[in-house]
Amino acid sequence: MKIAHSIVISVLSMGALAAPVEAHHAFAANFDAEKPVKFNAVVTKMEWINPHVWMHIDVRMPDGSVEQWMIEAGSPNMLFRQGLNKNSVVPGMEVIVDGYQARDGSRRANGRDVTLPDGRKLFLSGAGDGP
Amino acid sequence: MATRLGAIKRRLVFQVASILIGTGLLAPQWLPAQTPPAAQNPIPGTFPAYEPARTAESRPDLNGIWQALTTANWDIEAHAAAPGPVAEVLGAWAAQPAGLSIVEGGAIPYQPWALARRQENFATRTSVSVPGDGVDPPLGDPELKCWMPGVPRSMYMPFPLQIVQTPDAILITHEFNGTARIVRMNWEEESPVDDTFFMGWSRGHWDADTLVIDVTGLNSRNWLDRAGNFYSASVHIVERLTLVSPYHLMYEATIEDPAVYTRPWKIRFPLYRRMEEHVQLMEFKCQPFVEELLYGQFTKADTD
Amino acid sequence: MRPSPASTALMAMLTVFGGLTAATAARSQPDAAQWSPPKTPWGDPDLQGIYNYGTSTPLERPLALIDQPVLSAEEATALEQNLVETLNQDRRDGGAEADVARNYNELWTDASRTQLTADKRTSLIIDPPDGRLPPRVERPLTAAEEQARLEAELSLKRFTAGFHASYRDADVGNRCIIRRRNEGGGHPYLPALYNNMAQIFQSPGYVVIYAEMIHHARIIPVDGRAHLPDNVETWLGNPVGRWDGDTLVVETTNFLTADDIGRTGVVYGNADPKTFRIIERFTRTGPATLDYVVTLSDPNTWTRPFTIRVPWNQTDEQIYEYQCQELNYDLYFWLHGAREREQRGERFDPDADLDLR
Repeated sequence: MKIAHSIVISVLSMGALAAPVEAHHAFAANFDAEKPVKFNAVVTKMEWINPHVWMHIDVRMPDGSVEQWMIEAGSPNMLFRQGLNKNSVVPGMEVIVDGYQARDGSRRANGRDVTLPDGRKLFLSGAGDGP
Repeated sequence: MATRLGAIKRRLVFQVASILIGTGLLAPQWLPAQTPPAAQNPIPGTFPAYEPARTAESRPDLNGIWQALTTANWDIEAHAAAPGPVAEVLGAWAAQPAGLSIVEGGAIPYQPWALARRQENFATRTSVSVPGDGVDPPLGDPELKCWMPGVPRSMYMPFPLQIVQTPDAILITHEFNGTARIVRMNWEEESPVDDTFFMGWSRGHWDADTLVIDVTGLNSRNWLDRAGNFYSASVHIVERLTLVSPYHLMYEATIEDPAVYTRPWKIRFPLYRRMEEHVQLMEFKCQPFVEELLYGQFTKADTD
Repeated sequence: MRPSPASTALMAMLTVFGGLTAATAARSQPDAAQWSPPKTPWGDPDLQGIYNYGTSTPLERPLALIDQPVLSAEEATALEQNLVETLNQDRRDGGAEADVARNYNELWTDASRTQLTADKRTSLIIDPPDGRLPPRVERPLTAAEEQARLEAELSLKRFTAGFHASYRDADVGNRCIIRRRNEGGGHPYLPALYNNMAQIFQSPGYVVIYAEMIHHARIIPVDGRAHLPDNVETWLGNPVGRWDGDTLVVETTNFLTADDIGRTGVVYGNADPKTFRIIERFTRTGPATLDYVVTLSDPNTWTRPFTIRVPWNQTDEQIYEYQCQELNYDLYFWLHGAREREQRGERFDPDADLDLR
């Protein structure tokens, strides 16, 4: 009996999502779903590094003070292959950052969305199957 | 009368024989204490003209396993023997040997601020900071922390390297922690980022029988040796590799960094072909050897 | 069935990711058996190139498809369309916990993962015929093994909860020792979420496979030399290659057998490094395709050997330096962070409900 296409698709896509990732990066253990953050920020530095890109930002607080935060992202090598480079995100750019704060309360976040001035979204959740 | 004639004859024979020996027409086996005027021992610093083995593309064939024999990894300038760190435990094992400079002219032409920074590096070379702890620039010799040694240091680490040469790209891979770089031949594209790649962005071309490698995109965290010599992210290095005998690959590098030095300067030394039968790069993964040094300080005390 | 607007849209999306068109065209290379690879100037089959071996074909065949080793053309197209949607993690339909756990959007993941293998298989495993991993050997653990198992489980819990007791609670990948995946060594080249890149170089007597993560040039001698002696143990093994017609056959031995490797072990499936065997076969099947077939076995771990086939597709893309321990900020954040939380009075709870994957 031929299995319905819809079952094939749903079964295989579940398998495809689960299969290649052998181990968790445990970033759910390091970032707190109960501590969402949303910032209007200015990029101060981009580190296009492995194992994780780090975006450094200045965040303007409601009281006028400025806090420095770091946002974790993925391996930059995939971005280089798609033509992104040091000119794609530069100091001084105004960005909107949406993410979850580190469990230990430090000024780090697992970026969920970063919206660039031209409206493009780099979302930067710092997951991975590697380091 | 007969004796005098015999002496004259002997003298004549001797003179004729000398002429014949001098012209090489008479083999002098019967003359003791004479060495044949054939091969001479090589003179350090000179190589007779050499026509290298060539690849199918008629390029000199640089394939093989090579290793430097200088002490430049301790200090690329001239240095005396000295006790190493933790001498009270490691004694002669970790002591610094003496060595000559590989720098043309002897000394690196630092700007005054950079010379002071080099001294600071030396003073803190075994005081390590940890990636992520915010110490910038990071403390401690990168080699001590099992970091990739960078360019040019990886070329004179006391470990073998292997060159795998193809027309489009040359792979240079090192035994030290599997460090590697790909030299892309006749490549126009620039590095996508600055101050990131420890092994830089290498682009090569042939200049007659010399492989010229242009290296940019290097990481300012690199050191040139254990003595704390360094450059900045704006450094530009041009390497020249030339086969000068079946067993020697001459390595030169011109290092230019207007942020750190007063002028460009050069290093030069031969790489030696490793000739042991079945020689191979072994595995030297040093990260497990340095984890306690770097991260032991964060281990939970058993007091809970 | 003629191409639907949906598959046209898929091609447009793939073009946005860049550089895939050559690989996509080459993947439909018919009749691989007729094609013979060119030779290097010294007469070895030429396998050289830059390859991407990403795919979404799962390792194991889903149980519901156990009797269907291959999809029809329509099913494959529909699935690929579905994958573009489901692999795009730029979604908001799971709540905060899902948000935190979700992986990258399409910018960060390998676009080749929106594709299945050209032969439309439903699993990468080709033997056993059911496309599933063979059962693991069950035997009673010794007291020492049971203790080790409990400690490994506790270590994983501490890691997952963010209460690392020491760097040893991170796995060897997080510690930048080995990727513990497709570097070459005790782990076959299996598709991962990203960085599925390998570049093959050849010179007389050698084939060298350079894996992007973690910058590993795997030097495979093909000159007939023996393996290293048994006492020389390594993280990534000692590969020796030989030519079988146009196929490079590589056997890798000499894995670390020490007890303190960490909970994930040094070879695939955390198998026993003393009895584990990995035999890989590389065959160039077309100008831009290479067939990778690997057989794994360990009588102490699996009830029978198994074989995996992964297609490698040449790409115009380049490999970039993958630094690891040099800039691995996370290890400090985890360790320092754990000590900070303890200073604030938080404690690791071994009985907490954790998602230990």
